Formats: sequence, C-alpha cells, structure tokens
Amino acid sequence: MIQNYLILSVILFSLGILGVISRRNVFTVFMSIELMLNAANLAFLAFSRLHESMDGHVLVMMVMAVAAAEAALALAVVILLHKHKGKLDTNVFSLLKG
Amino acid sequence: MEHTATYLGLIPLFPLIGAVVIGLLHMFTCKKEPLPEKFYGALACIGPLLSFFLAVVVFVQLKGMEPEDRFLVHNVFTWFAVGDLHIDMGFLADPLSSLMLLFVTFIGSLIHIYSIGYMSADKNFGKFFSYMNLFLGSMLILVLGSGPVVMFVGWEGVGLCSYLLISYYSEDTDNVLAGNKAFIVNRIGDLGFVLGISFLFWAIGAGGFDYLSLRANAPALTPAIGIAVCLLLFIGACGKSAQIPLYVWLPDAMAGPTPVSALIHAATMVTAGVYMVARFSFLYADYPIAGSVVAWVGILTALLAAIFGMFQKDIKKILAYSTVSQLGYMFAGVGVAAYSAGIFHVFTHAFFKALLFLGAGSVIYALHHEQNIWKMGGLKDKLPTTYKTMLIGALALAGFPLFSGFFSKDEILFSALATGHIGIWMIGVFVAAMTAYYTFRMIFLVFHGKPRDQKSYDHAHEPPPVMTVPLIILAVGAAFAGVLNLPGIFGGNLKVSQWLAPSLIEHHPHMSLGYEFLAMAASVVAVVIGIYIAFKKFGQGAEEPEFTGFAKFGYYKFYVDEIYNAVFVQPYKGFGSVISRFLEPNVTDSHVKFSAWLYRKAGNAFKVFQVGYVRVYAIYMVIGLSVMSLFLSQSIN
Amino acid sequence: MFAEGLFIGFSVLSVLGALGLVLFRHPMNGAMSLIVTMISLAGLYALLSAKLIFALQLIVYAGAIMSLIIFIIMFLNIQESDLPEEKGRLTYLIGGSVVIIPITLFLIKVVKSIPNAEATIVGNGFGGVKEVGLVLYQDWLLPFEIVSILLLVALIGAVVLAGKRRVIK
Repeated sequence: MIQNYLILSVILFSLGILGVISRRNVFTVFMSIELMLNAANLAFLAFSRLHESMDGHVLVMMVMAVAAAEAALALAVVILLHKHKGKLDTNVFSLLKG
Repeated sequence: MEHTATYLGLIPLFPLIGAVVIGLLHMFTCKKEPLPEKFYGALACIGPLLSFFLAVVVFVQLKGMEPEDRFLVHNVFTWFAVGDLHIDMGFLADPLSSLMLLFVTFIGSLIHIYSIGYMSADKNFGKFFSYMNLFLGSMLILVLGSGPVVMFVGWEGVGLCSYLLISYYSEDTDNVLAGNKAFIVNRIGDLGFVLGISFLFWAIGAGGFDYLSLRANAPALTPAIGIAVCLLLFIGACGKSAQIPLYVWLPDAMAGPTPVSALIHAATMVTAGVYMVARFSFLYADYPIAGSVVAWVGILTALLAAIFGMFQKDIKKILAYSTVSQLGYMFAGVGVAAYSAGIFHVFTHAFFKALLFLGAGSVIYALHHEQNIWKMGGLKDKLPTTYKTMLIGALALAGFPLFSGFFSKDEILFSALATGHIGIWMIGVFVAAMTAYYTFRMIFLVFHGKPRDQKSYDHAHEPPPVMTVPLIILAVGAAFAGVLNLPGIFGGNLKVSQWLAPSLIEHHPHMSLGYEFLAMAASVVAVVIGIYIAFKKFGQGAEEPEFTGFAKFGYYKFYVDEIYNAVFVQPYKGFGSVISRFLEPNVTDSHVKFSAWLYRKAGNAFKVFQVGYVRVYAIYMVIGLSVMSLFLSQSIN
Repeated sequence: MFAEGLFIGFSVLSVLGALGLVLFRHPMNGAMSLIVTMISLAGLYALLSAKLIFALQLIVYAGAIMSLIIFIIMFLNIQESDLPEEKGRLTYLIGGSVVIIPITLFLIKVVKSIPNAEATIVGNGFGGVKEVGLVLYQDWLLPFEIVSILLLVALIGAVVLAGKRRVIK
C-alpha cells in the first residue's frame, strides 16, 4: 500500500524537524537534516511507483548529490566553528542577538 | 480670423527671455570675472526696444481696423480647463491696452538706457538688469492679459519685482525691510483682488472668464454682487497703486535705486490699479456708488499725500508723495466715470514723473548720492540739461497751462465738476495749488539760490549723455503730450478719448462752455498761486526750518506708519511669538514626539524575540507552520 | 505476505533509528542510529522496486556520507566535557512534539486523500539502471549538468573553508 510508505515518510520527516528544533548539539542538528532529506527521498520513490514513472528516481539522485555536497560544506563549517570556540553548542553563536 | 495676432505673445516674451539670459549670465560669472557692463546693458535694452517696436506694430494694425471691431487676440495655450473654469493664457490688444503698451515700453526702454549710466560701477549690474527685464515682462503680461487671471499673473509678477528691486541694495537691512513692507502691504490688497475676481467668477464666470465675455455677461450681475466686486477690486488697486490706507509702502520704496523708482513707482506698476479700474469700466459704470467711493478715496489720498509732500526734505520722498497724490487724481478721474481722462493722466504722468525721477537721479548721481535738498542749491549752472528738463517736468506736474499735465489734470477736474461732484472738484483745485507749491519748492531749493554744501557743489558735473538723452526725450513728451487729447475749447477733439472709446463704457459729460472756462481758470489761478508762494519762500535761497505744530505733524506724515506699527504689526508679531513659544511645543510638537516615542517603545518590546539563536528562529518557523497546518486541516474535510 | 512483513520490519527499524538519533546525547550514538535508519530505508526502496536507488542509498548515503560524518565526529575528539549540557532537553522535546503534531496530522490527512494502490515488486522495466539512465540522460540532462557544477562548487567551497588560512592576528 503506497499510502503506508507515505505515512512513514511523514513520520520520519516530523522526527527530523523535532531533532532540529530541540537539540543543541551541532552534529545532531545536521544529522536530523539528513534524516529529513531521506524522508523526502522515500516520498519521491513512493510517488514514482504510484505513477509508474522514472522521474522520481532521477530526482532522488539529485537530492542525494545535493545532500552530499551539503554534508561536505556543513562539516567544514562545523570544524571551523569548533576551532573558533571549542564548543559544539549552537547556543554559543549568538551574534545575531538584537 | 483677422482678430488673431500671433506676435502678441512675443511682446512680454522678449523681456522675459532677456531676464532669464541676463540672470543666468550674471549667476555664472559674478563670482569669477564679471562680464563688461556694456554687454549687459546692450543685452538688457534689446528686449524692451523689441517690445516697443511690436507695440507700434500693434498700434498701427489696430488703427487700420474699424473702430467697433478694434481688438487683437492671441491665445498662447489653455491654462485651466476644469468644469466651468476655462482660462487661456491669452493676450488682448485693444485700444486701451495698446495705449498702455506704447508708453510702458517706450518709457521702459528709455529708463533701461538711463540705468546703464546710473548703475555703472555697481557690482551687481547684471542682477539689476535681469530684474528690470523681468519687471517689464510682468507689466506687459498685466497690460496685455485677456482676462482677470492673466492680469493677476502680471500683477503678482510686478509685485515680486518691486520687492526684488527695492531691496536691491541689500547690505543695508533698512532697504530689505522697505522691500518687505512693499510686498506685504501689496499682498493685503491682493487679497481684495482675488476675492473680487472669485466673486466675479462665481456670479458670471460660466460664460467665459476673459474681458470680452465678462463685458457681455456683466448685466447679469445683481447689484449687491456688482458693488461688492467693484469695491474688492478697488482694494486690490489701493494696494498696488498706493491709495489710503495702503499707501505707506511707496515712500519707503524710495530705498531702491532711482531708475527703479522712476520705472516702477512712477510710470508703470503703480498705474496698474488705474488700468484695472478702467478695464472693468463695464462694472464700475453700472454702479455709481462704487465709483463715488473710488473717487473720494482717490481725492482724499491726493490731499493727504500733498500735505506730506510739502514738508519732506528727501528729494525722492517729495516725488514719492507726489506720485501718491497724482494717483489719487487718477482714481478720482476713473471714479467719476471719466475713464479716458484718468487714463490720459496716467499717460502724461508717466512722462513727467519718470522725467522728474530720472532728473532727481541725475542730481543724486552728480552729488555722489546726496538726497537731502537742504544740502543742495544753485545747481542750475552746474547741471544745465538736468535743470531745464526738470523744469519742464515740474511745470507739467504742477499743471501749468499748455504743458501735458495741465490738459490731463484739467480733464479730470472738469469731469468731476460736470458729473456733479463739486466737493471733489474743490479739493482737486486746492491740491493742484499744493502740488505746484511743493514741486517748485523742490526746484527752487535744489537749483536756485546759493549752494548750501560747497564741497559737493564743486564736485558736481553733468552726467554722461547716456543719462541726459533720455531726459531730453522725456521732456519733449512731457511738454507736448497734451496735444494728443486737446479738448474742444482749444480746437481739438479729444483724440485719445476717442481712441479709447471702444474699450471703455463712458458717458461724456457736457457743460456749457462758460462753466468749462471757469473751471479751467480756477485751476490755472491755483497753480499760479502755488508757484508764487513757493517762489516767495524759497526762490531766493532759504535755510532748513525747524518744524513745529502742524508742519511737524505733516513732516512726520501724521505718524501713520507708527500707528500702523502699533495697531497691526506688533500685535501680529506678538501672536506669532505666542504660537512659537507655547502652542507649538505643547500642542503640535507633542503629538509628533508621542508617535516617535510609541514606535521606539514598540520596537523595544519586540526586541525580546530577537534572541540570536538560529535554532530559536527555526522554532518560530515551525510554530508558524504548525499554526498554518491547523488552519489548513479544517479545509481538507 | 513476505513483502508485508518486510515492510513492517523495515519501517519499525527506521523509526527506531530516527528516535535514537533524536534522543541520544553523544553524536556518535546518534550517527549509528542514523545508519540503521538508512539501511532500513534502503530496504524500503528495494520494496518499491527502486533497484538502482537501493544500491545508491547503501553506497552513497550509508557508505559515503555517514562515514564522512563519523570521521569528522571522531576527528574532533569529542569528550564528555565538550558536549553541550542540554538541561532542558526533555522540555524542548515535549514542546517540540506538541508543535509538530499538528503538522504531522495535517500531512497524514493529505496523504490519506490520495488514491491507494498496491506496491507490487516489479521485476524488469522499472527502477533499474537502464530505465533511470534513459530518463536521466534524455529528459533530465540539464539538471544533471547543473548538479555536476554544484558538486564542483561544493568541492571548492570545502577546500576554501577548511584549508589553511592566512592567520590574521
């Protein structure tokens, strides 16, 4: 049943959002974003199976490529932040405070 | 249509272009190297001379048309076209405006030429001529305007230029204050003018708001509106032409350079009020009550100003009060419905008053800007041309028989008598005597007797020809202009009145020849008496007297300026200071400050949300998303 | 039948993995849970007849990206003391759940309105390398090229960000 796959995708996505907003650890936040991307991939493939079209598969490949690029850059930024402050807490970087 | 003449628009345009060009040249060169004066002078005189040439062309063209049909129109563009209000920037040349056009451009050109000499070595030479050209352009718009609104454009323009030129020597604050006074008092009159034309528009404006249409629709006015309009327009004329109670600016306006006094405050701008009354003759002729008011205000002003003029010691102030007095005569003339007589006096007055002012300027120039007549004397040998021309001008002003002033003044007095205004006639004759007296007092004190200040006497010399030639030309006009309007007694047939007839609504009064002769004799006798008294007192040289009693009262101008200051100016200033010290900070400023305070407080309150943690911002986003989903899920069954 | 069982198994595993990611304190534990999720997702992709993507998920995601993350985590040598003290973690989690539940319910509602269909496993002609390649290089050629440029940019960015910098002191 395709619907089940989609419901699973929604649940994973919500868990991803939960991870982003409630954890302070930089790595956890980043990995929750990856989780959200995976949930989106699942939804793409489910719809692709529903419509018997290959476009969903191609989009999943694009998403993976983007996720890889983003992982590389985000981790580079995490390294820099760790070098700068020595902490892995997102609350430490509050220069935007107005 | 044969009545369209597209060159009419050029007549005011030439001086205006000249003003802009000279103004720009002056602005861009005055800090560095000023251009040579001859250059500015030549540039400045081109405009007026071209306008004079075109004025002659207009006159010739009108002369070639049938008398009933004598008008030329040129609508340059449509200015407003809103509902009933349709006003074109149009120019109308009919006999009245063509006459005004001729002498305004002629005397204007002469005074421009004269100013090249008088204003030499002045560092703002270019600025002066720019303003003068601007003035002439505005005056021509006023005279040529095809309707009250276009006339008002020129009216305001000449007021502005009067202000600019009076305060020309702006390093001295007194001159600037005099300019302010002229403008402000003028403004008071302008309010009356605007109200007048607004009423006129409200009553009969639907059929077109230019003179020809208004004249055709004038019978539709109710008496109340008609009289109100006449009186309101006359208030405007009082401001512009210095009648009681708004005459106080004209003597102070003598702070400007003498050519300015000659052009603006003698020959042209101040006659705009008389011109306006003559233009609206179709209104004033229907309401004799308004006419009487005009005539009485005029003659009383003539009397008052003559009294003041008898005691002054500044040569220009004597001439200023003389101007106010003669303007009073003109209003007396148009008030008793003798419009052509009043306009003819405008015409002759322009010549001899400009002549007198320019002559006074010549004297002032020769004595290096000395203006007190008690420091002059015996100048007739040193300044022969000036003396002779000023003498001609003085005889014309006094109304000595056969000079131009005699004919024009006499025509007015005769009309006053013939229409039954005996009181006006008597006062007029008395003022004629006073006019002769103060005029010749001036001539005797300045040119006759022994010099009172030997040093300035020795340095005096005749001014250059660029200044004396205009004097001579004007003297010819002052002497012989009377020929143009010879009354029946002298064998003429009032050519000027005939020429003006299509423009005005006039009823020529008739009296028996005997009365006419008697009236003329009375005024001649008055003039001779006046000259004789002046000769007795001042002819052999006199010293400055100590004024006491009535003379002192007259010298101080009946303290009118001081009364105005105490009754109007100071309370107004006090009111202004109350507003700026109490009302503004507490009432208006507080509201503005309050709204600023409110915004700042609100901003501070909202600052709480900007914590700086990106995670918290993400939480805000998710909260928003969640609220949105709550709403959206309602709509998905 | 077999497919149903597999589906349930893989789904439960992935949800447990996600919960683990969100709840574990040490990021290493979280990364491990994420790997579990990714592997079970790969299985789910296979059940959807996405043969190529199943393989790619294992190779790229679970293999490359997760190894990169674990490598960085280990590289930074995180001690207990480096980890942030997340005192209010539970509060935030419960608060977050409260906020997220409307979104989840709304999305599920949307999903339920889609017509259902059986997800039988297709053997040939769907989801394989040949089919994906044909679509990729015919219809999606331009996005493919642009993604390659994107990867290049990311590469340069990573080098610039984490490379040696001139020290401005």
